[in-house]
Amino acid sequence: MAQIEVSELSKIFSVGEQDITAVNNVSLIIEKGEFVSIVGHSGSGKTTLISIIGGILKPTVGKVLYNGQDICSLDDDNLSAYRNENIGFMFQFSSLLPMLTSTENVLLPGLFSRRKDMNAVKKAEEYLSLVGIGDKASAYPSQLSGGQQRRVAIARALMYEPPVILADEPTGDLDEETETDIMELFSKLNREKIMTFIFITHNLELAGMASRQLRMTRGLLTEV
Amino acid sequence: MQTEFTISSFALRNLKRKPLRTAILIAAIAILVSALVFALSFVSRVSSSIRLASERLGADILVVPAGSRGAAEDVLLENKAKSFYMSRDVIEKLKTIKGIDQMTYQTYLTTMQGKCCDVPETVVVAFNQDTDFVVKPWLSQKFGRKLQKGEALVGNESAFNIRIGLVDVDKVLFGNVFKMVGVLDKTGTGLDNALFINDENLEDILIKGQADLKPGQISIVFVKVKKGLDSYKVAGEIEDAFVELDTMARKDIGKSIITTLRDINQIFIFTMILISLLSGFLTWAIFSAIANERAREVGIMRAVGARESHIVTVFLTEVIIVGSVGSIIGIIGGTALSIVLAKSFSIMKSLPMHLTIMSRLLIACVGFLIGNAICIAGALSPIQKIKKMEPLLAIKKE
Repeated sequence: MAQIEVSELSKIFSVGEQDITAVNNVSLIIEKGEFVSIVGHSGSGKTTLISIIGGILKPTVGKVLYNGQDICSLDDDNLSAYRNENIGFMFQFSSLLPMLTSTENVLLPGLFSRRKDMNAVKKAEEYLSLVGIGDKASAYPSQLSGGQQRRVAIARALMYEPPVILADEPTGDLDEETETDIMELFSKLNREKIMTFIFITHNLELAGMASRQLRMTRGLLTEV
Repeated sequence: MQTEFTISSFALRNLKRKPLRTAILIAAIAILVSALVFALSFVSRVSSSIRLASERLGADILVVPAGSRGAAEDVLLENKAKSFYMSRDVIEKLKTIKGIDQMTYQTYLTTMQGKCCDVPETVVVAFNQDTDFVVKPWLSQKFGRKLQKGEALVGNESAFNIRIGLVDVDKVLFGNVFKMVGVLDKTGTGLDNALFINDENLEDILIKGQADLKPGQISIVFVKVKKGLDSYKVAGEIEDAFVELDTMARKDIGKSIITTLRDINQIFIFTMILISLLSGFLTWAIFSAIANERAREVGIMRAVGARESHIVTVFLTEVIIVGSVGSIIGIIGGTALSIVLAKSFSIMKSLPMHLTIMSRLLIACVGFLIGNAICIAGALSPIQKIKKMEPLLAIKKE
């Protein structure tokens, strides 16, 4: 059984009187531990596709099966648990809560989890160190640069080591050296923890680091 | 050192982000609750004073001179110094009414400091000890004898109110010296502030000529009706038989005050509805703004696994913190207002009955619940709206 199976998925947004097809009849199978990149122009439907896979957006038609379970038919409690336990999100914009410190932002998924980790704080600090901002554990987002905020968000996505990481331009604000470090960390986690990575990028060099490359064009998905 | 990170601490931090807005919301709830607590304290103090007073008088019917119902209520409920008289012959006349079981009478005299008496203005009650069933139950057990000539009893609150000091002091009343020999139990009536003397003293008082009283006059007759009879029916019979008399059945004592109170009540209710609507609207407006501002944060929380119920819990915790703090401030403010402003309302100033701690606690609970309920009601619709948004759409909402 595939870890993620997307079948005949479409998403249509209504903007005024106009319907815009963001994702057009996409089917896709991703096995556990794959390292997948998606490239494509802005507005091609990449973010919409991974949002539906991650359960933060409902499709207009089609199915997303996770380990054989259709996530589109889950009720709110189970869909939230699916996101909490199986998905680590990295958004392309700042996604930290302003009233929480870096450590607390990293711990955020744990606040909504049924499982409690006694060593969570220590682990959060370790992840912050792994992404290079161990000294900013007590800082609030307003005290961090854009790149540092991005790294806190990366640490948050990795913190509970979910089986699937969905990353939307995860290294967008980072300098070249940090970008390489982060990608190496992803690659290491992918190999050692068998975590599945699906990441969107405009950087073809980064896309080339993936074991499987996909391209989206006007809502249609193709293998590269 | 990491501080504990829970949904409640999360909610508290959210409130601290906009202290002015939080303060405005708390102030609105505090004003609502304080108005409510004040109104409830006012109404319940007046109504319980009247109820208790009518119960403690121990009579089924009060008989007064025609046109003196209001004056009698003023004396009995509000400790207003008023005098009204009729001939003692009414006692004999009333004996012809079949339904009457027992009767006693009292004469009310009004003191005037510097003219007749060395106590400030109050009512002196001359009662007949042989027939009395009104004052006797108020006498504490330690005063186990009849009141002699030249002796007076002090109403439970008069020692404080008219500053005559402790018992066993001599005071001049209507040109005669009286020794204050005992204090009556608290009755909850206006007579708690009065002085009580044996009506045998009236003769000496009349001789000195310093009281506005003529020989053979009394103020009021307290009547107990025979068991099983309707006191309204007996009162009607008295009024039909003697046009010069007015009667008040026990349940009608304070009727004029209750009618006034009903009007005041309606004003209070109308004001409360308006303030509640305003507070609810303000809560709705502020929480709609908060929900809009925090849509992106809610989207992020949902994306990392927060259920709808978590979002509701975070917002409701904020609402309940605001509602509780506002309500507590309102309860303190309303209670303080009801004590301080009581002196500005003549009806309250003269009421003998104070609210018990239980009544105050009950009013506080009502205030607390209503404060929180209005807060929750106002915030419910924005919370429902934000929790139902798809996470990605909430994140993208600007």
